[in-house]
This record gives sequence, C-alpha cells and structure tokens, in this order.
Amino acid sequence: MADGRLPILRPEGNVPESPRLHPGAGEEAAVPVLLTRREDATSWFESKVSGALGWARANSLFQYPFVTACCGMEYMSVMCGRYDLARFGAEFPRFTPRQADLLMIVGTINVKQSPVLLRVYEQMCEPKWVMAFGVCASSGGFYDNYATVQGADRVIPVDVYVPGCPPRPEQVLDGLKILQEKIQTQRHVLHSVERSPEMREDKKRSFLGKLLAK
Amino acid sequence: MAQALVDLLRDNFKEAVLSSHSHRGDEVAVVRRESVQEICRFLKDGEARMQLLRYIACVDLLTYDTEMTGGGALASNEVPAYDLAKKAPREPRFQLGYNVYSVVRKQSVRLRVELRSDDVKVPTVTSVWRTADWWERYLFDMFGIDFIGHPNLKRILMYPEFQGHPLRKDYPTRKRQPLVAELEFPDLIRGPGPGPGGAGVPMSQTHVGRKNVDPTTYD
Repeated sequence: MADGRLPILRPEGNVPESPRLHPGAGEEAAVPVLLTRREDATSWFESKVSGALGWARANSLFQYPFVTACCGMEYMSVMCGRYDLARFGAEFPRFTPRQADLLMIVGTINVKQSPVLLRVYEQMCEPKWVMAFGVCASSGGFYDNYATVQGADRVIPVDVYVPGCPPRPEQVLDGLKILQEKIQTQRHVLHSVERSPEMREDKKRSFLGKLLAK
Repeated sequence: MAQALVDLLRDNFKEAVLSSHSHRGDEVAVVRRESVQEICRFLKDGEARMQLLRYIACVDLLTYDTEMTGGGALASNEVPAYDLAKKAPREPRFQLGYNVYSVVRKQSVRLRVELRSDDVKVPTVTSVWRTADWWERYLFDMFGIDFIGHPNLKRILMYPEFQGHPLRKDYPTRKRQPLVAELEFPDLIRGPGPGPGGAGVPMSQTHVGRKNVDPTTYD
C-alpha cells in the first residue's frame, strides 16, 4: 500500500485449509511479485473484477441448510418474517447442494453422520462457504461424548462459527454479515477452472485469454 | 396390585424365580437367566396377557458402591473411570430389566436377570415379542450383552467400525474414535453392480431393502 498499489489478496478462505482435502494447497498460495506495467495493469483490472464478483457473491448467497438438531427451529425463525435473512441477500434455501454456495450446518454432527456431511460439501460447486450454526456444529457443544464430532471443522473447513445453544437470530445475522465481509475481501477470478498441462504450455493466447485464465 | 402376577410366576416357576420384591409400587421378580424365555412366553400367552414389552433396560453396576479409581470423569482420553485390571468388578455386574405391561389388565411387572461379567449371555426373547429385536440390538451395542439366538445381533446406533461398548462403566469417558468413511451402497439410478437399481432393473421396480415387486400386482 505504501507505493499506492492496491493490495494483492491471497487466495485464501475459499481454498479449503484442511490438508486432507486438498494436499499442498497451502504452499502454492504465495503472493506474486509485480514487475511490469502490463502485469500491474492486469492486477488492477483483476482487483476490480474480484471486487465486483465478491460483491455479487456476498449478496446472493444461496444456502443449503444441513439441519440435524434443535437449532433448526432457530433457523426457521431467522428465515421468517421478524428476522428475515432475505434482507441481507441470503434469500433462497436450496435443498440440493449443487445449487447452493453457503452450507449452514445447523445442529449436532456425530461420527456416523460425518461422511454424509462431507459428501454434501463435496457436491457443492465452487465457490462455497460454510457456516457452523450453534455450538454443536462449532465445537460439539455439551455433547462431549463418544459419538459426537467435536466441531464440524474436523470434517470440512468452516468459514464462520456462530455460537449459542441455540444462537439468537441476531447472532446468525451477525455471522452472515461477517461472512459477507469475508467474501467481499476474498480474491475472486472469472475463470478458476484448473487447466490441462497442454493448455498451460500454450504460448499463443490472446490478452483477454491470459487475463481470464489467471 | 400386581402382586398377584408375581405370585402366579412363583407358583408356575418355583425353580426359576429367585426372589421378588416391590420397588415404589413396581413389582420385580428376579429370575434365572436360563428360563427367561419360557417365563416371557408364559407371561405373554398365559392368563397374565402381557402383550406389550415396554422396554428392556440394562444397568452396569460396576461402580455402584465403589469409589472411582484412576482417572475420574475428566481425567484423560484413555484412562477408564474404573480400571478393571486393578480391581475385580462387582458381581453380578449387569442387571437386565424386562418391563412388560398388560393392556388388558393394566398392570405391569418387571423381570430382572443378573449377569456376571465373565459370562454376559442371555437367551433372546425376540420369538416372544418382536419389539425385543431392536431393544436387544441396542443393549448389545451399548453394553455388549450377547443375546443367544437373536436373528440379527449387530449394532443399531453406533457404526460398525466402533470399538467397545460406550455405556459400560469401564469405557473411558472422553475416549474419541476416528472418523469413518462412507458406507458403500449400490447407486439406485445408474450404478453398476449388484443390488436394486443395478444392471437391468428399471427404477419403477426398485424398492430399497425390499424384493423387487411388480407394481401392477402389488397391493
């Protein structure tokens, strides 16, 4: 920031941090060094695209409620008229993970159920975010016993933890706004498809093609 | 009130009924393990008319009248609250309670079976009440009681990879077991392989866990 450039954001948050899911993701996430005017200009354009995408994604969260326990009542409350999560751009619960980009883990996750949660998470398209709704999903809560997973982050990466047993709807709204801030400041790219090795070696690519393929 | 039932049991099974008492209005008959099946059959089909098995309960009396040795509730992940290697368990360690009820007579009675820790076996009563099936699986899962003759004695709540029986008093309180992989099952829509929905079986004829039935003749 000292030289007037916009900060380059590390591709974090969206990248699952668990090495079990994506081995080696942490090492590649290094900050690139800017050398030329063209790269500088590209980076400026990227940051604008990233901001616009972040704004769009943060304010149109389609959620998948993975409701397993009593927190579901509070989830219903937060979705209904008085608290109305739709005011903050999280309007639609989608009851298929393929159409959702926010996974809300509402309730206790036990060991027998954890493969189901993992499968639901893997069925969601990128980019995706996860909210642990209530203490059971955050840390196991008072189910400190043989059957309960001590926090859903032992199974999948979690972005926002909303404590409470169950949490007040205001807490959930607060958690959603924190998540929206996080999404807004993340690095978003137009094209995040992993390229094949042949495409990586292809030197003859247009400026726009290179831009999109960052 | 239900004292008559206990007297009836005592008259018919002189050898099998070891003792009886009343606990806060509930009649309890302590019976011999070997004859639990015929007593249950008598209770259901005889004049007692105990059609309903409310539940089967189990009590682990390991720490009933002893101090907690080693560990304690929050000590560590592996140290059991009661170390069987250091101190022999109280015998008989397990108590089973068969709580049966007669809808017609509006009376209930409890059969108690005591089990020693070196021989945790009892005959099944699934042939008498079908509801005993899941109760006995539950007790096998949580306490490791072996019900001889049960048609499908496997875990009902915990997953198959789980080690040990969590409601036993020597199970370490804070012991955690690793996460498990998803169970395999045939893909009902496209999947290759055996099972319903597999090769060549149309979706209209698939029933999960059921034999394939022609929908036109199914009623």
